[in-house]
Amino acid sequence: MSKSYFDETHCAIGHPKSTFMQWMLTIDHKRIGIMYAAVMFTFFFVAVFTALAMRIELFAPGGQYMDGDTFNQAFTLHGVIMIFLFIIPGIPAVFGNIVMPLMIGAKDVSFPRLNWFTFWLYIAGCCIALASLFIGEGVADTGWTFYAPYSLNTGTNVIMALVAAFVLGMASILTGLNFLVTIHRLRAPGMTFFKMPLFVWGIYATAWIQLLATPVVGITLILAIMEKYFGIGIFDPAKGGDPVLFQHLFWIYSHPAVYLMILPAFGIMSEIIPTFSRKEIFGYRTIALSSASIAGIGYLVWGHHLYTSGMSDIAKTVFSFLTFFVAIPTGVKFYDWVATMYKGKIVLSTPMIWALGTIITFAIGGITGITITMIGLDIHLQDTYYTVAHFHYAILGGVVFLMFAGMHYWFPLVTGKMYNETKAKIAFYLQFVGFNLLWFPMFIAGYYGMPRRYFDYLPEFEIYHQISFFGALIFIAGLIYMFWVFFKGWTKGEAATPNPWNATTLEWHLPTSPPPLENHSKVPYVDFDPYEYHQGEPVVKFNYETMQRID
Amino acid sequence: MGTKIVNYQEEKKVYYKVLVGLLLLTAVTFIQPHMFMTHSTFLAQMVIAVIKAWLIVIYYMHLKGEKLITAMVWFAMALVAVFFIIVIGIDVSNFQYGADSYITSAPTAN
Amino acid sequence: MSHEYIPEIATERNGTEHEVQGWQDDFYGGKLGFWLFMLTEVMMFGAMFLALAYYNTLHQQDFLDASASLNRLLGGTNTVILLVSALTMGLGLLKMRAGDVKGAKLMIWATIILAAIFLVIKGFEWSAEYHHGIFLMHDQLLADSPLPFGQKLFFGMYFTMTGLHGFHIIIGIGLMLWLLKRINAGKVSQDHHILYWNIALYWDIVHLIWVFVFPYYYMIGAGGATGGH
Repeated sequence: MSKSYFDETHCAIGHPKSTFMQWMLTIDHKRIGIMYAAVMFTFFFVAVFTALAMRIELFAPGGQYMDGDTFNQAFTLHGVIMIFLFIIPGIPAVFGNIVMPLMIGAKDVSFPRLNWFTFWLYIAGCCIALASLFIGEGVADTGWTFYAPYSLNTGTNVIMALVAAFVLGMASILTGLNFLVTIHRLRAPGMTFFKMPLFVWGIYATAWIQLLATPVVGITLILAIMEKYFGIGIFDPAKGGDPVLFQHLFWIYSHPAVYLMILPAFGIMSEIIPTFSRKEIFGYRTIALSSASIAGIGYLVWGHHLYTSGMSDIAKTVFSFLTFFVAIPTGVKFYDWVATMYKGKIVLSTPMIWALGTIITFAIGGITGITITMIGLDIHLQDTYYTVAHFHYAILGGVVFLMFAGMHYWFPLVTGKMYNETKAKIAFYLQFVGFNLLWFPMFIAGYYGMPRRYFDYLPEFEIYHQISFFGALIFIAGLIYMFWVFFKGWTKGEAATPNPWNATTLEWHLPTSPPPLENHSKVPYVDFDPYEYHQGEPVVKFNYETMQRID
Repeated sequence: MGTKIVNYQEEKKVYYKVLVGLLLLTAVTFIQPHMFMTHSTFLAQMVIAVIKAWLIVIYYMHLKGEKLITAMVWFAMALVAVFFIIVIGIDVSNFQYGADSYITSAPTAN
Repeated sequence: MSHEYIPEIATERNGTEHEVQGWQDDFYGGKLGFWLFMLTEVMMFGAMFLALAYYNTLHQQDFLDASASLNRLLGGTNTVILLVSALTMGLGLLKMRAGDVKGAKLMIWATIILAAIFLVIKGFEWSAEYHHGIFLMHDQLLADSPLPFGQKLFFGMYFTMTGLHGFHIIIGIGLMLWLLKRINAGKVSQDHHILYWNIALYWDIVHLIWVFVFPYYYMIGAGGATGGH
């Protein structure tokens, strides 16, 4: 049997003999992606259980298990981990690393050693964030947004959290830089930009956001640190600073950051839908260009987080106007996906039902976003559970669901094994039902005025919190079950063929499963579109030894 | 590699010419407040800075003829410009609370 | 491993052969990557200038008064020093590309010396300001001093931004020393000069930042206290 990337690897320094050191020093993009996934999902579960603890506290009105300060720290911890440690590296760090070079027929990313360094920078950021839990007065209690001036005056470890966010931001920048150069330089001969798979387009658009938006928040965090230690007063009104400026700078990054999360997720959707509809994707160019235009427009809309912060009225109007435009390219994508399925030979495998479920949840998340784009309505709904529910429908029900879809889709590619499809589907339905039970009541509670980030509430909101709690239990049960199914699949599952889904893109044309160290046996010449199906069968076939087309 | 053949004397001349240009422009920044556009020093200084930056980027950083990188640089510059237009031009220059706000009319401020 | 890399060939169906670009030995890729890194520097300093312009809009007169009190002679000297150092850096790269390793090394040393002089002058400037009571956490910049908010913010940003710029200069000196080591080890040569190329680019962006920092801090108030408004 031939060797896979689990058996041999290139290292950043020397040629260590021990398997452990080979993993620590590896510059292979596939191994680095797996290590990212392992670390990220560890933190993901920490944040999930922090959230569950908050749900338990909120089961009944009044304080039972946590006091207000602990609750503040709990939601900050949940936010910081979920945003900075989990979802911002997110899909690019895992699937961008593992799959993107395979999709464009490259041997690795452009700067493999930088990729290795970036991973360890990410780990360093995680360690700093973790250390802030145990030092001094514990983790920050400001919420993940670190709004000034409170963040500059609280005694908790805000500065450490800021440093962690800065280091993680650096890692994010370097990942984006690496991917941009990779996509520009290492595409297989013949693969023009409009012959790239749509996931690569998603990663490309994302990388631009990572590269150009992240430095802004980096410098904001540095200014906050300067303020804390050198008393400059940039954001503290007592010293002449304007907190609105902090919010401007923070959201200049953090709003594009949500597109940074969703664009690669849309890319995964655009891979899964044509593969399991056995049909060429509808409107390839519109999907590709809508990714680019979401990234572009996404830079111009940050101000809708500041409607109640004291911006000038004219700025509010401009931002509200601009924000509506983001919905257009997103809508284009949705119509394209649905049109792709029309008259297709739809195969309801697990990745496909995850994608279909996401169409529902993300549509709810997206459309509720449009309502709070309107200034008048937003004044009513700002900082209520409505906004919380909108955000979680978009990010958990959009990004994370599609990430799970991608995990089911690429699982046989990465591990060379197959999970149990029936059990994986049960896990999906558990999570889908649990998710909607968990978050939908919050729209109603928020509309009636339940504010976010409170550990106590009026008795009339009790019913919504209790439904949410049971939803959370079902959701977490489904989540754990899903990872159990993955674990069983990896250890005991049957071996998968290189192309179990009848997919067309290059990552499924590898000689073995799991792939060998340097990917394709030879770099193919790409003279075909990414999703060519004829009567439900892939058009392009390769001889996997010579990578010559044989169709 | 495309950069292997070097016309040393030719390129050296370019470097010195640009140096002279930059030195002249630096001298202009110093005499400008007393010579011309004295009613908009800020604007004049920024215009000179942009010309200097342009010289450096084109000749010292060899951006001439680099289509892809030039497009990327323009994209980043456009973003910064948009941030300025929105935050400075639309928001803070229409600051509505000048008379009431502590940060603009605190007892110690002018 | 990059030196013995042999490019692969991808073959079209009609037999046409195409050379495949690998990640090894990719001069243009290295250059592109470094330009992208420099764009992050642009965004970083862009955001700082945004904060500066924000307070400039709120406190125009204070900014002009504060700017007028900075030492334009030292600032101008530093501008010229950086200008000449950009030339020595560029000429060094040119010499390396023409095969004159010794001349290149000499030019790098010249750049390092100029950078050090820049830092020394900066140090004199800061200490003079300290003696006038203007420094971070000191005298007039303390929260309870009567200096107007606008001036405090101006000086606060001044120390932050020139400090960050000075930090870039220090990093640059470190990079140049490392470059000398690599040249001595034979890792950077006429044919493999991407490291040199990128460090030269880095030095230019450091210069470029100063091109904007200098007028915004030193020159806007140079036209007398009214600044023309």
